[in-house]
Amino acid sequence: MTNKTEKKGFSRRQFLKASGAASAVAGGAGLGLFGYEAGKDPRTYRGWENWEGVNQVFNRKKYAVDQPTCQKVGPTRRVDARTEVIFYRRGSFMRQWREETGLEGMEPHIQEYYRKNPEDLELDIYSQEVIFPKLMEDRKKYQDQFRLSDAWSNAMGAVSPPRITEPPEVSDFPRRSRRGGSTEPVKFKDPKKTSKLIKKIAHELGSTLVGIAKLNPDWVYKYTSIGRGFQSDEPIEVPKHWQNAIVVGTPMSWDPMYANPNYGTSNDAYSRSRIIAFRVASFIKQLGYAARPHTPGTDYDLMVPPILVDAGIGEQSRPSIVVTPELGLNFRPAIITTNLPLHPDKPISFGVQDFCDHCKICAENCPSDAISYGDRVEVRGYLRWQVNTAKCLNFWNSTLGSMGCRLCVAVCPYTRKSNWIHKAALKVTADDPTGISEKALTMMQKRFYPGPEPQKYYIPSLGGENASYREPPWWLRTEDFIE
Amino acid sequence: MQFFISGWFWFLEGILTCLMVVGLKFYMEDKGIPMPFWKWILFGLWILLAGFTIAFVGTSLGEGEPTAAKLGGILFGLTSTISGIALWRILLTGRNKT
Ligand code: SF4
Ligand code: SF4
Repeated sequence: MTNKTEKKGFSRRQFLKASGAASAVAGGAGLGLFGYEAGKDPRTYRGWENWEGVNQVFNRKKYAVDQPTCQKVGPTRRVDARTEVIFYRRGSFMRQWREETGLEGMEPHIQEYYRKNPEDLELDIYSQEVIFPKLMEDRKKYQDQFRLSDAWSNAMGAVSPPRITEPPEVSDFPRRSRRGGSTEPVKFKDPKKTSKLIKKIAHELGSTLVGIAKLNPDWVYKYTSIGRGFQSDEPIEVPKHWQNAIVVGTPMSWDPMYANPNYGTSNDAYSRSRIIAFRVASFIKQLGYAARPHTPGTDYDLMVPPILVDAGIGEQSRPSIVVTPELGLNFRPAIITTNLPLHPDKPISFGVQDFCDHCKICAENCPSDAISYGDRVEVRGYLRWQVNTAKCLNFWNSTLGSMGCRLCVAVCPYTRKSNWIHKAALKVTADDPTGISEKALTMMQKRFYPGPEPQKYYIPSLGGENASYREPPWWLRTEDFIE
Repeated sequence: MQFFISGWFWFLEGILTCLMVVGLKFYMEDKGIPMPFWKWILFGLWILLAGFTIAFVGTSLGEGEPTAAKLGGILFGLTSTISGIALWRILLTGRNKT
């Protein structure tokens, strides 16, 4: 009898011990499978999985600061977009530059700019005389390889609201509808509540992140050359009704974005953000207030990144793009200027200035050397990193990808999907006052997530291999679908 | 396959962990090895490290980053192995040899 009990007890113990060992193995395997699923989980493609605003998850209040992290350090100057915004200047250059007439054949303000910045003239000439002919050559040879990604990019850009052509005094204000509704502004109870409402509406309309700032007139272009109701030879008077700025925006699709510069596109997020901005503006106008959308790619009357900083969306980074806690650099914003009384958000500081100080991954991976390795400098009165936009645009034209490069976006440690690894890394770096974790994570980032040599991203005629940072997603591999 | 990122998976993982702890407890008792609370804490920490390593490798593979999976596996795997051996020796201290 005693023997029997002992035998029974013995076997139960043995069974539990064996179960414990088996559980350890099964639990470990389970964790591996959990990790694999978590890495693939489509819900980590933040900003592409739903429109309910649940992606603005970062606790900004905890990191709120009174002054934006790009500090004012001297007398400020508004930007002359005709020459200082590369797209507008390149446009003028291509229309006006003739070798025979040289600078003399160009508009006076452009002549003046090039006299002060001869290296930009060299880069603009290089683009026209060397890069474009080679690009045309390589397009003939290799463009078919990117048929699917080109089609995807064009499809995303196929729907767009009409361009604004009237001045703000006309286009921004509500007009009587055909149904004859009132255009009188409704009386809102409280700007804080109105801000909450506008944010909810913007999220419902598809915006991944939303923020509100008082509009700093320093951010409005001094001159512009794209119209929108302004004359290019007259300075822009900042309209009185541009009191507040609402930031909306969306990320680019994640997998193509990692396959930059050849398979990604800005069109996807540009298009979504444009439509959202026009819808938010329409919502505001229908309540009787003025609203004007400033939308990507080039339909702006102001500089966008500093407004994002003011609105607490993120911090300006080494490549001059704004890093957001939720999406890293993968955020394509649009702005709505309005006289709707709103309560502004506070700027935030979650460690980006320190991180960018020593990280420099984007600078190391930038094929055109456009991103500075140095410290922040004073730009028009504000302390920030300065990117060489002429070099950057020259690289855009040295690849076969759609509308640009975006490698700095893809390689940044902040631009990661929202799985547990990257969420934990963000939390650790944002809360670590010593900077040790930032250094450790940067070191890991450089070794764990390497990319091709920067030269390989160029087209073959310019010494490259049409490389991409990561493999394209299956649905953009032309060779798998088309003969 | 969505099971592994569902709440049910963590429920099951909890049951497996309990079984593992019970199994270890009996094993140690049978071997005459005392397990004061600090040994359990060290063991728990090691389990977190080992679990982190496995999940890191899985997640990196899932998100299409094989280099991160390989290097992370080597770095954290070695750390887990070395600390695991050290932990085992620590756990064996105070063993009743009779
Ligand atoms: S890659 Fe590094 S330096 Fe560049 S923006 Fe990102 S954190 Fe800053
Ligand atoms: S977009 Fe490309 S070329 Fe331009 S700064 Fe970024 S990495 Fe450099």
